[in-house]
Amino acid sequence: MSNQRRVAVSSPQTRLAHARRRHHPARLPPTLDPAEAERAARVLRAQRRPAVRTLAGLAALLFGLPLLLWALPALVDVRLLGVPAAWLALVVVPFPVLVGLAWWHLRRAERAEDPPP
Amino acid sequence: MIAVLAVAPVVLVTLLVGLRGVAAMRTTSDFLVASRRVSPLLNSAAVSGEYLSAASFLGVAGLVVKDGVGALWYPVGFTAGYVAMLVLVAAPMRRSGAVTVPDFAEARLGSRPLRLLSAVVVLVIAGLYLVPQFRTAGLVLTAVSGTPYWVGVVIAAVVAALILAVGGMRAATYVQAFQFFLKLALFIVPALWLLFAVGPQTRHDAVHPAEFTRFARDTPVTFSLDVTLELREPVTLGNHTHPPGELTARAGQTLVFPEGAEVPGVRGGAPPGGPDWQRPLLDDDGPPLLSTWAVLLATVLGTMGLPHVLMRLHTSPDGRAARRTAAITVGLLSVFYLFPGVYGLLGSVLVPQLYLTGATDTAVVALPAQVDTGTTGAVFTTLLTAGAFAAFLATSLGLLLVVAGAISHDLLPGGVRRLRLTVVAAAAVVVLLALPAARLDAGVLVTWGFAVAAATFCPLLVLGAWWTRLTPAGAIAGVCAGLLGTCGAFAVVLFGPGLTGLAGLLVAQPAPWAVPLAFATMVGVSLRGRPPAWAAQAMLRLHLPERAPEPSARPPAGRDRGHSSWPTRRSSAVRRVTRRLGR
Repeated sequence: MSNQRRVAVSSPQTRLAHARRRHHPARLPPTLDPAEAERAARVLRAQRRPAVRTLAGLAALLFGLPLLLWALPALVDVRLLGVPAAWLALVVVPFPVLVGLAWWHLRRAERAEDPPP
Repeated sequence: MIAVLAVAPVVLVTLLVGLRGVAAMRTTSDFLVASRRVSPLLNSAAVSGEYLSAASFLGVAGLVVKDGVGALWYPVGFTAGYVAMLVLVAAPMRRSGAVTVPDFAEARLGSRPLRLLSAVVVLVIAGLYLVPQFRTAGLVLTAVSGTPYWVGVVIAAVVAALILAVGGMRAATYVQAFQFFLKLALFIVPALWLLFAVGPQTRHDAVHPAEFTRFARDTPVTFSLDVTLELREPVTLGNHTHPPGELTARAGQTLVFPEGAEVPGVRGGAPPGGPDWQRPLLDDDGPPLLSTWAVLLATVLGTMGLPHVLMRLHTSPDGRAARRTAAITVGLLSVFYLFPGVYGLLGSVLVPQLYLTGATDTAVVALPAQVDTGTTGAVFTTLLTAGAFAAFLATSLGLLLVVAGAISHDLLPGGVRRLRLTVVAAAAVVVLLALPAARLDAGVLVTWGFAVAAATFCPLLVLGAWWTRLTPAGAIAGVCAGLLGTCGAFAVVLFGPGLTGLAGLLVAQPAPWAVPLAFATMVGVSLRGRPPAWAAQAMLRLHLPERAPEPSARPPAGRDRGHSSWPTRRSSAVRRVTRRLGR
């Protein structure tokens, strides 16, 4: 093995092209096969319903739980395992619900894009 | 000593893991999105590792000490953001074939000005997010070992820039995934030890809070910033008795409050343990319920628009993997976020005096020394410092990479060499910005970053992926409206009159009005114009599932067939042949 530096051999034109500033080519408008467009439209329609449901669940959790804790200040005095229930509700309620929502939506979304049997 | 023991191993292991990820890189795609070959599990660990910044590791517990139990809403918002991302943007974003968010904007709407505008927004968000990371690295090292502030800042910057310049996104992926598990272990184990070691009395006090009104023992309080205290009764400090009134503590001063002395008041703060502190809602000046909703809105929608998280989604092989990444991330973050509350509640019992100095961010690393003054306490302080440092590093890695992408891919397109140089230059600039920023509140800056993301990228991505009638003019107008609205609100906070009540809340948390404003502008301007003829196809393409891979075939070849990573491990002859076949 010699210690000589390896040099990429290229034509003068290529060298010139590499030395120049690179320009990103203008993007061509995207095109879809009619068949693929039809498939995409079907998937999009099928995705809408689970998306709306999951977002509704998320909104219910994020707007409802603060509202509940605000409306029932007495929850601070109720204790579960010695911890005020209102504090526990900040940790024990949202995270399992979020994991459940994510899992449910993932299943529905993947089923929506599977090819019809 | 603790600093050396904590930081040196993290830095060394980080470098080793990062260098393991270095591979041949030819194209921008190799550098910025790791050739799109990252599996969902690895990717979601990396997303979580990147996302759990200083704000999560130290900030949430500190906010519990300072503001009350309601601060635990922040982690809920941080996690819920990934559910929204999973539903609305994960798969369409990946299927656009873009490398950065500005790329996505151009691919969907075909507008060069929009791309440049988005790149500027990326720089604003990353700047707001990156400066606090470096700043907190400096402050934590100072708090633990007394090194000058700049040392921590420079160490964090050098390590992050080195890993990125050499290894790009692939190295960052391995580092961030590794650091997620490191942080998880370094957060959970000390929490369990603390719970066990504090004894039944402290455990009882932690869940039966009493207002912090008298010092339980002689308490030295060291101030790192100038603070004005309000004394309601005379206090003897050292051998000098102060009359009731205002007392200004200078930066660097240590006051020893004697046992039984009344705790002085601090402007704009409620002492830990009071009724306001116990209420499980946030109250940033405004009404508690509205404050909580405002913070949740900003964190959920902001998470969806954070450019460094979106860039990680692009490293997935296809849209389905991107969606799985978001879903697994929800689970990983949920495990981590079970524990900040433990530190917060223990901190409010053991180190309540931190609320006097405003340095509640250091509550987490201050706890072990309160429980055990011997070796064990020092060991756990070291572990927590190491975890905090890992948190700065992982987040800085992702943010520096989006900065480099915005500059050298979107603003001034260039090759991989320019990307490497940009990373180093960006790190240097951020160090210069972070050096005078020691006084800024890290939490405030990060929250602003979320607000900007929520008011700019969130509407752009959601409408871009789900509404065919969006026009380039509408998108530009909406992003401008969101950017100007949020930045205007920050300017009022910084330079304007001090507002209180509802007005103060809406200025400090601009998301509740800025996000609807940006959506309305985008929709309104779009409806007045006509989308280009190919707009419907451009949007449908984002929802087109990739073909299912053949079970026994080689990894699915997406857009980057020519320069996928897997042949690089083979000899050059094999590589040449596979590349030719892959064309």
